[in-house]
Amino acid sequence: MANYLTFIATIGGIYALLALSLNLAWGTVGLVNLGLVGFFAVGAYASAIVTAIGVPVVGGIVVAMLAGVVAGVIVTFATLRLRDDYLAIVTLGFAEVVRIVALNERWLTNGADGISGIVTPLRQTLGGRGFDLFYLGLVTLIVVIVWFALRRLDLSPYGRALKSVREDQELAAFAGKDVMRLKFEAFALSAAIAGLAGALYAHFQSYVSPDHFQPLITIYVFLAVTAGGVGRPIGAVFGAYAVVAFMEATRFLADLPFLEPVQVAAMREILIGLSLALILLLKPTGLLPEKTPKATVQP
Amino acid sequence: MLSAILQALLNGLMTGALIAIPAIGFSAIFAVLRYPSFAIAGYITIGAFAGWTLNVSFGLSMEVALVGAALVAALAAVATEQTIISRLRPSGALTAAIGSIAMNLVLENIVRFFYGNDLRGYDVPLVPDVRFWGLRVGMQQIETLIISIIVMAGVFLFLTRTRFGRAMRAVADNADLARLKGIDPRKVSFVAVALGGALAGLGGVLLGADTSIDPLTGFRILLTVFAAAVLGGLGSIPGAVVGALSIGIAEELSLLVLPATYRGAVGFVAILVILTFRPRGLLGERAL
Amino acid sequence: MTIKNTSISRRGVAKGAAVLAVATALGGGVAFAQDGPIKLGALVPLTGAGGPYGPIMAKTMQAVVDEVNEAGGVKGRKLELIVEDTQTNPEAAVRAARKLIEVDGVISISGTWASSVTTAVAPLAWQSGTFLTTTSGADSITQLPHEGYLIRTQPNTTLQGRKFGEFAIEEGAKSVYMVSPQTPFVDSQFENITKAVEAAGGTTELLVYDDKKPSYRSEVDTVMRADPDAIILGGYTPDTTVMLKDLYRAGYDGLKIGFGYSVNEKLLESVPADVVEGAMTISPSPNADSKAYARVGELSGMANPDPYTAQVYDQINLIILSLAASDAEPSGTMLKDTVRTVSQGDGETVDNAIDGIKLLSEGQAVNYDGASGPVDFDEKGDITDSRFRYDQVQDGKIVLLKIF
Repeated sequence: MANYLTFIATIGGIYALLALSLNLAWGTVGLVNLGLVGFFAVGAYASAIVTAIGVPVVGGIVVAMLAGVVAGVIVTFATLRLRDDYLAIVTLGFAEVVRIVALNERWLTNGADGISGIVTPLRQTLGGRGFDLFYLGLVTLIVVIVWFALRRLDLSPYGRALKSVREDQELAAFAGKDVMRLKFEAFALSAAIAGLAGALYAHFQSYVSPDHFQPLITIYVFLAVTAGGVGRPIGAVFGAYAVVAFMEATRFLADLPFLEPVQVAAMREILIGLSLALILLLKPTGLLPEKTPKATVQP
Repeated sequence: MLSAILQALLNGLMTGALIAIPAIGFSAIFAVLRYPSFAIAGYITIGAFAGWTLNVSFGLSMEVALVGAALVAALAAVATEQTIISRLRPSGALTAAIGSIAMNLVLENIVRFFYGNDLRGYDVPLVPDVRFWGLRVGMQQIETLIISIIVMAGVFLFLTRTRFGRAMRAVADNADLARLKGIDPRKVSFVAVALGGALAGLGGVLLGADTSIDPLTGFRILLTVFAAAVLGGLGSIPGAVVGALSIGIAEELSLLVLPATYRGAVGFVAILVILTFRPRGLLGERAL
Repeated sequence: MTIKNTSISRRGVAKGAAVLAVATALGGGVAFAQDGPIKLGALVPLTGAGGPYGPIMAKTMQAVVDEVNEAGGVKGRKLELIVEDTQTNPEAAVRAARKLIEVDGVISISGTWASSVTTAVAPLAWQSGTFLTTTSGADSITQLPHEGYLIRTQPNTTLQGRKFGEFAIEEGAKSVYMVSPQTPFVDSQFENITKAVEAAGGTTELLVYDDKKPSYRSEVDTVMRADPDAIILGGYTPDTTVMLKDLYRAGYDGLKIGFGYSVNEKLLESVPADVVEGAMTISPSPNADSKAYARVGELSGMANPDPYTAQVYDQINLIILSLAASDAEPSGTMLKDTVRTVSQGDGETVDNAIDGIKLLSEGQAVNYDGASGPVDFDEKGDITDSRFRYDQVQDGKIVLLKIF
């Protein structure tokens, strides 16, 4: 049981990073990234590939973050000028393209087989249990660092500029903010964090494949950010741990003898969808609402 | 080579006609309610299963299946909209969009709960294609094309000739002005969602009759439907048709030069290219 | 988390108490610690791309476990099957597997289907000493450093590729076209088909398609331009359904050969009969006189159960027989050390766990021949037998042609 909790907490931490990434793009500057899982995948593959040719894990993580930024540039260069719903649809398409490329470019990604045997730092020295604990510590530490940095950013003048873009682009532009640039920078940073999460996942599980990166993960992270409170980093972190705990807890519904296993699985996903919808409906500010007073929102 | 290109064009036209129906549904919802509805995938799937139940379980004709599917999908769309999404729209288009993703997951799994994951096929005769000038075309494809054209014509007549249709366009073009003219936006939203759901449901049946259905039927073509709508211009109904045909043809033509596995990426690349050069899509964003 | 803990322990206590009561009533004097049910895990795709296969796999395994429990369990202990969903997604599957291993304490996990899921779950199995039985086909699976904790009932792709090629040649095909989605085994399979076909002077071509498309008209046009004598269908049921319809529409009247798991009863039900008439299928197979295959049909409710269902039936039977065959305390290690003593060898041939348990309790050795084949394993965990069954769709029914 303790092993299981360690594992779930580590996965929770990786989801927390994804939630922080989404919160930066969506909560702070108002850009919806429905292809989050694509950036997660890019980071995971990038680190897996470069560490396989001898780059140390720390280097792999840096490459993963850079790869996230590059992917962010590709996605945003045509869409940032447009209304935000275009970006939402384009990012969704991007995630699918990442999956297709990962599936077909065998020379780079080993195709449908995926990349197994990815370096797991210190596993040899620490043993399985020790490694799990070490990795939990590492991921948790990184979550705290990223959270702290994003909180600082939130409270800084730069953070306020980002939020002014979210509230009213025209007004922000009128006030002399370079809206395009702010959006671009926030999205790139957000993509880098998703890439970081990907690299951490790859070196934890030691295996990545195209099947890993399904759109459902993006939905889970949206649920996390919404539940925690859009616009507030601590909310995103809290929401991510809550969602992973919730997903795992729903497994224990499985003892309904009058239902087929497939019906239980369907019920779980219905529960996840309904909770997302209901939180949006009943508590749109999340459990830990953003503290800064909102400017009036145009309907 | 020429016949290969002509054949790909023909195939693209057929695929495009199939995608056009749900794409119009998506655009109708977007034009009036101003949010991209991901739940359209769920409406497609629900329509496909409703039509299947009528056609196979009850042994009724395809005409009945089409009408029944349209009604059931419209009902699902209205229910989804009234219970959840309409209350999210005041918080912004993106919140509504995310709500629609959540509801799509719910709808897909309601279908899974009752029908399981098994593949199901409609009870329609399948006939070999007709051949002419070295090309081939299927009777069923022609039927689908004719149904699509009838449906599209119906939608255009509805939008241009009926009071509700004109009200919808008025709201789509300028919601504030429409309100000043005394148009009740709630009624118009209701009609737009019902229309969008009905078209998605019809699309589901046509797709199901052509292939086979399972709970992922709608989700599998969601990206293509989006690509069609964005390509034509978000919220533009003629744009959805043009976008669907362009995507259909581009995907089929791409097979002549690209590996078939990259077909799914064609829509995405098309969107990026179009948005770079024509940011408001091929036909702009006016509803009609 | 708190709620979950209490509910589990409460349930565990209740079950423990029930078993204790039964044991006391029967006058059994076994130690308490050994009286709980032996926990076995099933990890199958209930949702996602594997959704068409997983539910029936889970149902069949559960039916076997129920039967054995009704017949008195294994050495007086009941079995409990805990089913989890992989979502056909390695990320979700690892979470599910961790729960099975670390919370439920299962000693085995059966039924992993997607190769990516098996590759992700396998390290957990060998690190925790859990026995993993899989239906995944990728060659790389059994090459993992699994220390014996993994067996698979799906023949590896080298063997299958050769069989497809040889069969096409036998049926008089000179040019063979393989159409397949991007799977982990498409390349190695095609390579082996090519070897077999070229050895007989034929030619081969390959088209890899996107498995999510509603129509393959242009793909079929490409194939038809090559005018092949035989088409080998490498996909799964959903995409193969679409492909077969489009081949029919295009007027293709040559040989069609598919996997038994793909051209299955569900596919037949979902398309008009003409579309699939005459199609041949190949699947790993037991001796013709084995009753196990028919038994899977009864348990699963399908006249022609597909190979995955037959395979998980065999997997769960082998696990139960191994439990009955060893005197050691049930564990994954005990299963991996014992499984080959019941799957192969000179023992009495049995085709179900209940008969096997009876023989084993009488001190006899058994050799299980199941529904998917004789299921004998080499040291890497691959099945060694090379018998396949060849079926053909005739008048809308899957008819056995031959087994060899």
